[in-house]
Formats: sequence, structure tokens, C-alpha cells
Amino acid sequence: MVTVERLSYNFGTYWALKDVSFSLKKGEFLFLTGHSGAGKTTLLRLLYGALPVTRGRASVAGYQLNNLRKRDIPQLRRKVGVVFQDFKILSDRTVFDNVAMALEVRGMPRQHLERRVRAIIRAMGLETKSYSICERLSGGEQQRVAIARSMVANPELILADEPTGNLDVDLTMHLMEIFQQFHTYGTSVIMATHSKEVLECVPGARILHLQDGRIVDEASGAEPEPEKEEPASLGEVGL
Amino acid sequence: MIGQFLRLSARGVADLRLHPFAQLLTLVAVAMVTLLTGLILLGLHTVNIELLKSRGQVEFQVYWKTDADAETVVKDWDTIRAMEHLKDFKTFTPDNALTELASTLGETGDFSWLADNNPLPYSGLVSFHVPPEAQDQGWAAGLLTQIKSLPGVDKVHYTPFQADLAQSWRTISHMVIWPVLGFLALIVSLVVHNTIKLSLMTRLDEVEILSLVGARPGYIRWPLLTGGFVQGVLGSGLGIGLLAIVHSFIAEALNFPPFLLEIRFLPPEYLLALAGAVTLVSVLSSWVAVK
Repeated sequence: MVTVERLSYNFGTYWALKDVSFSLKKGEFLFLTGHSGAGKTTLLRLLYGALPVTRGRASVAGYQLNNLRKRDIPQLRRKVGVVFQDFKILSDRTVFDNVAMALEVRGMPRQHLERRVRAIIRAMGLETKSYSICERLSGGEQQRVAIARSMVANPELILADEPTGNLDVDLTMHLMEIFQQFHTYGTSVIMATHSKEVLECVPGARILHLQDGRIVDEASGAEPEPEKEEPASLGEVGL
Repeated sequence: MIGQFLRLSARGVADLRLHPFAQLLTLVAVAMVTLLTGLILLGLHTVNIELLKSRGQVEFQVYWKTDADAETVVKDWDTIRAMEHLKDFKTFTPDNALTELASTLGETGDFSWLADNNPLPYSGLVSFHVPPEAQDQGWAAGLLTQIKSLPGVDKVHYTPFQADLAQSWRTISHMVIWPVLGFLALIVSLVVHNTIKLSLMTRLDEVEILSLVGARPGYIRWPLLTGGFVQGVLGSGLGIGLLAIVHSFIAEALNFPPFLLEIRFLPPEYLLALAGAVTLVSVLSSWVAVK
């Protein structure tokens, strides 16, 4: 799913990533951890094509990022869902509109789109807020909208950059359950976090510890739960 | 696909309400520039029509020598009649000329006392169609030389005014008018560009999110381009409407001696070209703004 070999990235004279190598198989859950400035966000940005890969090699969901053409970036991002700490949702639009956006850009027929959006909103426990304006939602609800948007198109990989950073412990645990739920359906996840509680949430997840742009440690949690079949998983959430 | 295209276009139109004041100012600016351009075109068109009345024609007044015999003169006339692009050739014998002169002067024009001693020579008024390809090449001067070289011809009066005026007009058009129109197009493009840029900046969050979820650049840009298109269409339409109103006031403003110029409204193809050009400039500047 993801292969990274000797990946480096610099902002001028500052090297944010130095010789990072790792790989991620389909259905794996990988945590990136480390202090602020360790290179977690830079690595994620490289993986979804927001920064160009100029040193080293990287491939994501079958796309070689080294020679990724501009016109291929949208295709890459349709296979990758991205979740941010600051949600990045349109606060003046409804929950439905925000989630539907990810399918509208694919030109999905309206009837099909509405069915999928309603299903994912229900799976997120937001069915009573479908037509609420997002700015009236709580932080946890807004983050669930962001996750719903990233998941609605059934991506092969989720990249999450400190998705629980703005949330209290209860909400954090709830959101991690949601991530785990999708992970058990076979979606690969790379999540950047510096929260110990979050790291302990996912049994069997691998943990890469970054420091000053380098991987300094790799660990893994308990044995993972057996992966469910993808078609069954889609049915379970109504997708 | 068509549904998505229509939806995005509708969003582009709906987004115009995001900055109503800025959009209104842009609309007014585009309309004013269209009006100004239209007024310039109106002036050009009016002058053009006046020039067209005589532009394609050149006239020579030819006088034969007083001692030229009729046979030589008739031979010269035949030579002239055989010339290319001849439009009209009026010939006058001395007697014809005297009668014509007398009739022109009315009751006071009694020249019967000159009948036996007519001082007037054989003469003629020759007019030629000037072929378009010859308008730049001193073609009339060549004709003048040709007519002057006829055996019985004494002198030729040639007023190159029309042909030269047409040529001068073309030079002015190329050297002054086009840069002026280009300047006006630049104003439209800057105004629309800035407004679309403003729309883009206020939608940066949306653009970023759309990009994150895999929207193609065309999907992101289309609503903004639609906004530029609508500005162009509405602005040019408003400008042309104002031009029609202004024209109704000034149509007869120069229609008195010595000008006797009736200012005519622009023909539909000019109006379409004006609206099309303004809209095209608006769309292009929008495209540059969102690129």
C-alpha cells in the first residue's frame, strides 16, 4: 500500500525528513509519533502529494510519487482519505454537504451519492445532524464529519494528522473507535499523534517514532484482530 | 457529466452574491469600459460610413488643348473608355460645356454671345473604382500620368483627397485605435481579474478541501470562470444598453451644416463582437486569476 525508501525533504536549509524508509501493507495501522517538528506532518504531506518527493522514493496506492504528474494528484487523493487536527471542513455548509463533497468531485450520480452519504453519516452517529450547519456542531462532531468525508469514498488508505489533537479524552477514545472500526474493515491507516492514550488504542498497530526527521524507533502493539472481508465491511456500514 | 457541469456553473453564478458590493463595482466598471469602447466604435463607424461613400472612387477632370482637333480628342476618349476600373466618363465638347455652364448659372448664364468664339476646350470627368489591392500603392497617381500622356490632353485636375483620406484613416485606425482598444481591454481584464481573485481568496478553504478530496483543477476553477463569464456578459450587456441610450441622445447632434453627420448605431455584428470581446477578456482574466 505504501512504500517509502530513503525519503528526505528540506525546507531551504532545514531538513524536515532524513532518509526515512518504511512500508505499510494493506489493512495495517501505523502510528507516526514524535515531538513537534519531528517530521510527522511533512511525511504525511509527502504521501498525499501536497509536497513533491525530490529525494528518495515513495509509492502510495500504486502511484509512484517521485514522478507524479500534477494531473495524477487528484487520482491519488481519491484513493487516500485525509483527516486533520483542525478538521478542515466548511463551517458554513451542512454536514451532508461537507461529506457529499468527496463524492461530488467524482461525478457520482445524485441518487447513489445521497445513499452513501446518509449511510456514512449514520455510521458516524450524526444522522440527526445531517442538515445542521457545521459551525453549530461540537469539536468532536466536526471531526466526525471530517472522518466521514475522508471515508465516504471508501479509500484504500487514511492519513490522519493529529486527528484527536483538539479533543478531550472521551471524544478521543470515541474517534479512535471509529478509526478502528474502519481499520477492521480493511482500510490502511497512517496516523500522526503524540498522544500515549491514542497509541494504546489500536492493538497490533505499528509505531514509528520520529525525531529530527529520522525514524529512531519502531515498535508494535498487541496482535491485530483478524481483518474482515471488505465487501462485508461495506455492507455493514451501508456503503 | 452534464449535470455536474450545470451544477458547477450554477454554483459559479450563486457565488457572485458572496461579495455583492465588489461584484457590483466590477459590473459597473465593465459596463463603463464597454460603453467607452462602444462610443469609440460609434465614432469610427460614423466616420467610416462617410468615407465609404467616396473611398472606393477617384475622379479626374481632364481638359484637352484648345487647339486639339476633334479626331484626336475622340481617340483619347476611346482610350480612356478602354481603361480598367472605369466607372463613369462624362465628356463635354466646347458647345456642351458652354451649355452646361449656362444652365448651371440659370438666368444670368446667357453665353450666346460666345457661341462663335467659344473659349472652352474639350473636357471630361472620369471616375474610376479603386480596386482594394491598389489603395495603398499610388494607383491613382499612375492613372494620372497615364491620362496626362494622352496626345490631346492639356491638363488634368486630380483631387486625391478621398483616396488619401481613406489611407490616412486606415493608418490612424492601426496606430491609434487598436492600442486604445487594447488599453480598454487591459482595464477590463484587471478589474475582472481582481474581483475573481478576491472570490478565490475567500474560497481558499473550499479550494483546499476540494483539492484534498481529489477534485480536478477544472472542477475547482469552473465556478470561478463562470463568475468571470457572467460578469463579462452582464457588464457588456449593460454597457451596450447604456450605449443605445447615449446614442439616442447624440444621433442627430452633428446632423447640421457643415457636418451633416448622422451618427448611426453600431450594426449587430459590431455589438456582438464588442460583447464577445469583453466576455472573452473577462473569462481569460478569470482564468489567469484562478490558474
